[in-house]
Amino acid sequence: MQPHEERIQVGGIAVHTWVGGQGDPLLVLHGAGGNRGWRMWMDRVAERYTVWAPTHPGFGASGSAEWMEGVDDLARFYLWFIEAARLGRPHLLGQSFGGWTAAEIATMSPGAIDRLVLAAAVGLKPEQGEILDVFYHSPQELRLLNVYDPKSIPEWEELFGRAPTPAELEIAERNREMTARLAWKPYMHNPRLAHFLPRVTNPTLVVWGREDKIVPVACGEQYRRAIPNATLTVLERCGHLIPIEQPEAFAKLVLDFLGGEVRR
Amino acid sequence: MKLYYFSEMPHHEYPDEEGGKYPSLRLAFPNRFFDREKAASNYQRYLTEYELADRVGFDGLMINEHHSTPSCVNVGANMTAAVLGRTTSRAKLLILGNILPIEDNPVRMAEQIAMADLISGGRVLSGFVRGVGVESWWANSNPVHNRERFEECHDLIMKCWTEPGPFRWEGRHYHFRHVNPWCLPLQKPHPPIWIPGTASPETAVWAGQRGYTYVPFLVPFETARQLFEFYRQGAAEAGRTVTPDNLGFLICAVTADTTEKAREAGKHFVWRMGPTLRGPVEWFSPVGMRSRAGQQFALKARPRSLATMSYDELLAAHFIIAGTPDEVAEGFARVQRELGVGHLLLEAQESRMDHATTMRSIELMGAKVIPAIAKL
Repeated sequence: MQPHEERIQVGGIAVHTWVGGQGDPLLVLHGAGGNRGWRMWMDRVAERYTVWAPTHPGFGASGSAEWMEGVDDLARFYLWFIEAARLGRPHLLGQSFGGWTAAEIATMSPGAIDRLVLAAAVGLKPEQGEILDVFYHSPQELRLLNVYDPKSIPEWEELFGRAPTPAELEIAERNREMTARLAWKPYMHNPRLAHFLPRVTNPTLVVWGREDKIVPVACGEQYRRAIPNATLTVLERCGHLIPIEQPEAFAKLVLDFLGGEVRR
Repeated sequence: MKLYYFSEMPHHEYPDEEGGKYPSLRLAFPNRFFDREKAASNYQRYLTEYELADRVGFDGLMINEHHSTPSCVNVGANMTAAVLGRTTSRAKLLILGNILPIEDNPVRMAEQIAMADLISGGRVLSGFVRGVGVESWWANSNPVHNRERFEECHDLIMKCWTEPGPFRWEGRHYHFRHVNPWCLPLQKPHPPIWIPGTASPETAVWAGQRGYTYVPFLVPFETARQLFEFYRQGAAEAGRTVTPDNLGFLICAVTADTTEKAREAGKHFVWRMGPTLRGPVEWFSPVGMRSRAGQQFALKARPRSLATMSYDELLAAHFIIAGTPDEVAEGFARVQRELGVGHLLLEAQESRMDHATTMRSIELMGAKVIPAIAKL
């Protein structure tokens, strides 16, 4: 299936969604920077899985949800989305803010999903260090803090190589607002999440970039410890935007982990 | 036109080159530069200046509040109002104002303002503000909720003052199962409400709908006129008539025996236009704090930041008025002619303007400027 855009109605909100590929469904939840569209890593993964990449309510081209107060609301919303889009029991992959959302979903209803991938997920308070305060920095500063080496990123020019249009700036502002709405306090974590993670017995892959300047690698270790069937892979020379920074390596990790094996 | 004396109670007691090493004097400048002994004597000094302003005939004493900044160490407006409630006797106490969105307990705020009103014999003018973004950082209050919390906090305070308790409050941001404050303002039903404005058209409309006194701060005359138009629009919606008593304006002003001395003293105001407002936009206006309409109006309304203006330009634009009593009286009259306001708020001490200069300015205002202005 060629990647295309859909609007999926959930609870009165039109959820803008990229859909593409073939095979079992893989639900992909984006980070605070918003839905960056159909990316290189998705092309690889879509050879064996049907990728569903929705834009969170309040972000980008999706409808608003000013009533939401926290990531737990977003997680409950996505459990509804899985039903509304008839995804059955999809694999679930979340990056950064989307990783936190994925972890919440898994704790709420582990049976609703198959395998779980958390990439540089926020959501836990680091035992060492702090999660960088993204609201304290300008978008320009963040762009560089997000990655290890812009020059090594194949899609850098396409994504960041030109000045954003007014419409893109408006979307960026909207994304930041919704992130603040959901994750301002406690900042980017849920103090109760760790207590529920042992419920998640789904096979889980935790991926981190060694040079992540946004979320300390310590958080990856914490997720690995708290989730019973989790493994942690740390990519060298990689920052926070793992799927963008190392699309080939990331896609391979995901494909190997999901395995294409017969679903239970 | 009524005149109000205002000092931010600055703490400019550190080497400027140290302040310059940090991205902003707000939030980032470490408080190891806070000089406790100097702060203790400065509070005495600033309160003495307020007390003289009361005695020489200022109509009101304006008090504000900021946090995590040397530009203003008045960290508790209601506390200052209570102190001045005892040490002054006639001037109104204009609290401009309490920062509603960062307040977690509006009932306690209603009680504190009421207590200051009772102690002062009913002299409180109760201003409510949304605060600059720095205050949201300081309180760790979600800026996305700033306007909603401002309005809900306001509504609950007003209900405390106008409806008998006990009652229950279940809002979006505030939840109180038992509201029954045993402290109500002396003024019935409550002190007059004042609202400042710098850029938000919604705030001007909102204040106009309610008939609150509306005061733009340090904006060009043309911007003030536009904001007053929004105010009138709100007033018209509610069927209210707008009089000069509904409108105020804030500028910086100092007087002295000679033009030269006054111009020299006025230079201290430049600090508050530039260095104290320096910093990342994310700190002063965090995400979601300002509506799109507010952002667009701000972009249109203030093409030049005050920080980029020279002292002479600030004088020419009447952001600062510094001169002999006759000269400042003429300057104030100009403001009155331009804007038709009934209240002029004077930021009358800043930065390192010393006690003697400040006291002399207050004396001269009382002896010569206030009588001249009273006729306007």
